[in-house]
Amino acid sequence: MLANVVTKTARDRWKGMAIGAGALALFLLFGMAVYRDIDLSVYTDLPEAIRAVMGIGEGADAASLAYGVVYGSYGAMTLAGLALSMGSASIAGEERDGTMGLLLGNPISRTHVLLSKAASMVLVTGFGALVLWSIGRIAPVLLDVEVAGMQVEALAFHMYINALFYGFAAMALGAWTGNRGLASGATAGVMVVSFFAAGLFPVVEGLENLAKAFPWYYFDGSQPVLNGISWGHLGVLLTGCALLAVAAAVGVNRRDLRGHTVGVTLVDRLRSNPLTQKVADRLAGSTRVSRISIKTASDHQGLFLATAAVMFLVMGVLIGPMYNFIDEALRDFSDTFPEALMAMVGGGDMGTPEGWYQVETFGMMAPIAMMVVTVVIGARALAGEEARRTMGLLLANPVSRATVVIEKTMAMVVLAVALGIATFAGVAIGSLLGGLGISTANIAAITFLVTLLGLVFGALALALSAGTGRVKVAIFGTVGVALACYVANGFLPLNDSLAGYAKWSPFYYYMSSEPLINGMHWGHAAVLAALFLALVALSVVLFQRRDLRQTG
Amino acid sequence: MTSEIAIHTEGLTKHYGDLEALVDLDLDVRSGEVFGFLGPNGAGKTTTIRTILDEIRPTAGRASIRGMDTHEQSVEIRRHIGYVPGDLAMYPNLTGRDTLTYFANLRGGVDWSYVDVLADRLGADLSKKVGDLSSGNRQKVALIQAFMNRPDVFIMDEPSSGLDPLVQREFQTMLREVVAEGRTVFLSSHTLSEVQRIADRVGIIRHGRLIALEAVSNLRSKAIRRVELDFESPVEATVFEAVAGVRDVMVENHRAVFSYDGKMASLLKTVSDTYDVTDIATQEADLEEIFLTYYRDEEEVPA
Repeated sequence: MLANVVTKTARDRWKGMAIGAGALALFLLFGMAVYRDIDLSVYTDLPEAIRAVMGIGEGADAASLAYGVVYGSYGAMTLAGLALSMGSASIAGEERDGTMGLLLGNPISRTHVLLSKAASMVLVTGFGALVLWSIGRIAPVLLDVEVAGMQVEALAFHMYINALFYGFAAMALGAWTGNRGLASGATAGVMVVSFFAAGLFPVVEGLENLAKAFPWYYFDGSQPVLNGISWGHLGVLLTGCALLAVAAAVGVNRRDLRGHTVGVTLVDRLRSNPLTQKVADRLAGSTRVSRISIKTASDHQGLFLATAAVMFLVMGVLIGPMYNFIDEALRDFSDTFPEALMAMVGGGDMGTPEGWYQVETFGMMAPIAMMVVTVVIGARALAGEEARRTMGLLLANPVSRATVVIEKTMAMVVLAVALGIATFAGVAIGSLLGGLGISTANIAAITFLVTLLGLVFGALALALSAGTGRVKVAIFGTVGVALACYVANGFLPLNDSLAGYAKWSPFYYYMSSEPLINGMHWGHAAVLAALFLALVALSVVLFQRRDLRQTG
Repeated sequence: MTSEIAIHTEGLTKHYGDLEALVDLDLDVRSGEVFGFLGPNGAGKTTTIRTILDEIRPTAGRASIRGMDTHEQSVEIRRHIGYVPGDLAMYPNLTGRDTLTYFANLRGGVDWSYVDVLADRLGADLSKKVGDLSSGNRQKVALIQAFMNRPDVFIMDEPSSGLDPLVQREFQTMLREVVAEGRTVFLSSHTLSEVQRIADRVGIIRHGRLIALEAVSNLRSKAIRRVELDFESPVEATVFEAVAGVRDVMVENHRAVFSYDGKMASLLKTVSDTYDVTDIATQEADLEEIFLTYYRDEEEVPA
């Protein structure tokens, strides 16, 4: 029975892991190929602090840059993200799906189920780490890149244990609360904060030791790719894993299991309180369901609020004052900072306030946050209702399929714009608090462009959702295309003969004009807007032509 | 004449790859009748309904409701339709009332006093979240949703699943009421007894093909029964086989089991002439048995 739960969970999950690891492997090959062909001499002059933030070890060469950037940050986060998604689903996911009762109708204990799920998480994450390790070994051979002194196996092993730590954290939270969204959301939040803390604190004079309070420090604080496995650091993470596993076992055994029920939200409490009932009823009742777009937007409010909070508080307000704490060396070095290198993390000169925000907030985080919201809405908009079998009932009303697509698109636009406003406000306040004096108009320009960029990929997800009726196809397809576009835009310009191809990537129309410095580029905005509208129109056509799916 | 035909299909066909889910369906449902659409699981009932609602598009043929093409005029048609899906799912985080408000808004409003009357008759609790309701109580919300805009045509796929017998009865009364007002009910079901109670006519579908189309009174006279007889002494099969309407006789010592369609009196008379009957048990044959008995070799609608 143990083997059954383990293998079933592993079977449900290995595909996602294979896709994630495969994408990272491609990313590594691509990165290494580009680094191989460009002049790397400038890296040898980089100050230690910057290399630490960027995950670049001493003696920069093509291999260490690729390992550090691709595996050290993206790779470790992806692997940990996949593990924490499994961890959060292990108990809470089965409860949400209403299958836990059936599972426990068999003669197995709750602890047994938990351990099986844990075993499967350890197995599948291990499979992912193994893929990353083997590609890490093969890539330099294929590309004829020198890797003497690089310890890929140590890096992959650190990534593995690091991912398991977040997996067990999500599992423990899910086991205690039975709430999958809370488990994965809170753990992902901890992961992101800890990633930045572990990267930034060591650069801030006097606060270096604070980094040790964050788990991410024990992943790459010892620079495993150069120094090999640090058992001391891994010991910290493994102890954490064990403690969290025990906590999960205690949590799942002491609690009433949830049936196939719905959580009680704050609004529900307000609705049952006679004092607030009237207002809450209006908000949660009549307003929420007044039309398809508003209901769709309201369905995604949790996702939106979490993303907006991160963008506003962390990536907006916090990043501003932090600029002033950064080592002086950073600014002194700004003149010699290689432009090519910066293009990869979103471009910009870290020695200026604009460049600082461009690298920290707008390079990666803002597009990712925006896309998390737009792609999830786009993918679930049509295919999600089909998978949940509510589309038939919705379309039994006198609304055309085109109307449904357009209403769903409106929800996406509303939340994307709101997220843009939150980001804008955060950055504007951060700039004010830090006394950075960044032009408000330019902040508005860059957030406007990132909103459009998010909408382009949201509309791509919508089109895939409209065409196939499958949420997974829409999400994975869009993430794949977005990743390829991001990489293309970041790396192609490093090679003069390929630079022109970057224009095929939507990301080019977001950042290439450096809007935070130069202000709005209306031509680029028009390209993104046209792309968005074309994809929405395509979605309408695709959705009208297709048979609705009967089941997910 | 179209005004008297509520639902019309001609040559309606749906293939999924090699699978013929629906083959050449010709059907007329008249205004003011309850039309029962019977068939075993996977026969093509839901495929028919989903095609009529423009959820899926026919491979060949066409369908219309009150003279309007189900594809070309699907939005207009849906103003006049009340629909209960077979595989019911609703938004779990909305209360029953929120759900109804949502659909009411999409329809441009409904008469809320009528909703309250419906909720009262079915005993539905609209203040709870749909996700917290049992399947029967969820079904009630779906039924109210179908009734609330006073549609001309009801399309219902297994509508009474999960309802307790009392609510089922109330629901059937409600259906008879709307039909009395000249409205139309298209009712898919695999429960013969339910269809027998409320339908005027039935269509029977099997392997995607309509194999029978009859008035219920007619079907009832055909309805065969499973009969078990116990006797004082051992019996011989030949005695029962001689009776007209008896099939599939199995005899075991003092007991005989067979299918019978015909008058019970004539059966008992013949049998009791030969043996002393000690006990009788009969039960209505289930749908599958009727199919096996009557429609084994028939592919076409009887003339």
